[in-house]
Amino acid sequence: MLPVLIEKVVYKHINTSLLEKKEKFICNLDKQEINDFIVRNDATETYSSFSTLHSEFLQLSRLPKNALINKTIFITEPRIIEEERNDYMILQYDFIYEKTAYRLEIGNSLSEIKELTFTIRFFILIVLFIILAVTFLMDTFYIEYLLKPFNKIIDTKIRRVNEPDTFDHTPINTHSTDFQELDTVLNQMMDRISELFNKERQFIANVSHELLTPIALLKNKFENLLQNDSLNDNAVDKIASSLRTLDMLKKVINNLLLISRIENNQYETNETIDLKEIFSNLIEDLKDRMDEKGLILTLNLQYNFPFIGNKTLIHILLYNLMVNAIKYNRKNGSIIISDGFLKEKYYLSISDTGIGMDESQVSQIFNRFTRINADQEGQGLGLAIVNSIARFHHIDIEVTSVPNEGTTFTLLLSNNRKLN
Amino acid sequence: MNILVVEDHQELANEVIDYLSKNGYVCKWANSCSAALEEINSNDFDILLLDLGLPDGSGFDVLKEVRKTQSKMAVIILTARGELDDRINGLQLGADDYLTKPFALTELGARIYAIVRRIHGFMVNDLNIHGFSLQLQDYKLSYNGIPVNLTKKEFDIFQYLVLNKNRVITRLQLTEHIWGDILEVNSDSNFIDVHVRNLRKKLDKHTSLEWFETVRNVGYRINV
Repeated sequence: MLPVLIEKVVYKHINTSLLEKKEKFICNLDKQEINDFIVRNDATETYSSFSTLHSEFLQLSRLPKNALINKTIFITEPRIIEEERNDYMILQYDFIYEKTAYRLEIGNSLSEIKELTFTIRFFILIVLFIILAVTFLMDTFYIEYLLKPFNKIIDTKIRRVNEPDTFDHTPINTHSTDFQELDTVLNQMMDRISELFNKERQFIANVSHELLTPIALLKNKFENLLQNDSLNDNAVDKIASSLRTLDMLKKVINNLLLISRIENNQYETNETIDLKEIFSNLIEDLKDRMDEKGLILTLNLQYNFPFIGNKTLIHILLYNLMVNAIKYNRKNGSIIISDGFLKEKYYLSISDTGIGMDESQVSQIFNRFTRINADQEGQGLGLAIVNSIARFHHIDIEVTSVPNEGTTFTLLLSNNRKLN
Repeated sequence: MNILVVEDHQELANEVIDYLSKNGYVCKWANSCSAALEEINSNDFDILLLDLGLPDGSGFDVLKEVRKTQSKMAVIILTARGELDDRINGLQLGADDYLTKPFALTELGARIYAIVRRIHGFMVNDLNIHGFSLQLQDYKLSYNGIPVNLTKKEFDIFQYLVLNKNRVITRLQLTEHIWGDILEVNSDSNFIDVHVRNLRKKLDKHTSLEWFETVRNVGYRINV
């Protein structure tokens, strides 16, 4: 677009200047002059004059008598002047002077025009680039300035907030109503979220109180009842079985509450976890059960990988995995606990030589109330809890299992979690 | 020993008071924060059993009031709110122990006994039963002066049964006492029986054990 425009302007300018020259020439024309022109060059009856650099020429020639008198036309064609061929923009003017037809041609070298257009284009291009650069810089700074409150909102109100409790309600300093509105809306949203969090927290507390208090009452009543010597064996059995059911109920509620509390972020993670220490406690607790089944435990922790977390929860996680490894193991089987580094991550794996699972079973195990076998004990919450705790601590779990050979649970922690 | 039971659930309070009275404690009951504070101000109690969820406030408020005074009263928090924060908060505010509902009465009995021993400067050290003497301080058992070698778990089981003598103690109660409040469902496996069997074997070498009763399908009882 622009080059075409420039070309047009330049051509127009040249045409006008050619026309002006013609007018000047015609005005001053008289017989003497024509003769001066023509005589000097009779052979062709043409007169030529040109500038030294051949950028312009002027040529007057006699036309045959009967030639058509054209008025004024512009043509572009090559001419050879002093053995140099150039493209010219030529003004052709045919006229009659004292009954003789003449043709006047005034030319202007096109190469000059091209040079001119090139210069103009180049200049415009540079100006364009400068404008572009200046606009870009100004925009960047201006937008940066304008968006300062926006970035502050993103940074302080969204990115750094992991929990509604830690949300900062102080309004962001800005004059833009849009950002003020965004800030207000964000504050309101966070208020709603923290209200929901608190409601859930309250609900969990209420559930625990409302459900566990009656269970406590029943449990104590049954225990007191059991002391009655007049009871026959049948009644004692029934009371004992009721106590077991109550215990199960209590544990299911406690397990569900535990999951809710983890997912409600009610646990602090500010303790240093020493896996070796936790395992030595666990093994002490579980020794009886391993001995009962004749299981051989190999504890092969070669690395120290202290990290920040919640000790109680990690203890529960490992306890549940260990209990599974014991429960689903075969008699005189083995449990192997090992660790190492794999692809920038620390891993801890617990392998058993138990009944194992097929792939469809493995995909189910972390769901609540999933039991792989109908005759399996428990309520299928153990691994759901493992999953919640692991997610809470940003630990990945991988499960590999071969039916009738065993199962391996692998916990993966990224290297940067390690405390120094 | 005077105990104030602060619990808004009347029936539950009755069961607790019933059990404690049978074990020789003198109990009073308060069903709210204000009633509890009133009782505390007008009577001397050795032990306060404190529920956290009370109709007119939190048990923590009562605890704070109690700890403002010079009272040496021991406080055991009884609560259904098993939250970790509550536990830490309670112990920081000066509670001596923390028991989550539902608890076994016998467990409560054992905790109270431990506190009583502490109040008396561990003077009540020995439990004596059918010629056996349990030295609670250093986990040692002897029969008429002859030492009997028990593991820690065996000692704990024996002590728990002796403390709750003449009561049927279920396997579940024993499991919970030894291994704590574990979350695993159906955890009362027979491994508690293994320990009891070993304990009985060791005791049996010294005297006949017709007073150490196995209650079929339920648990154990030590009769006096």
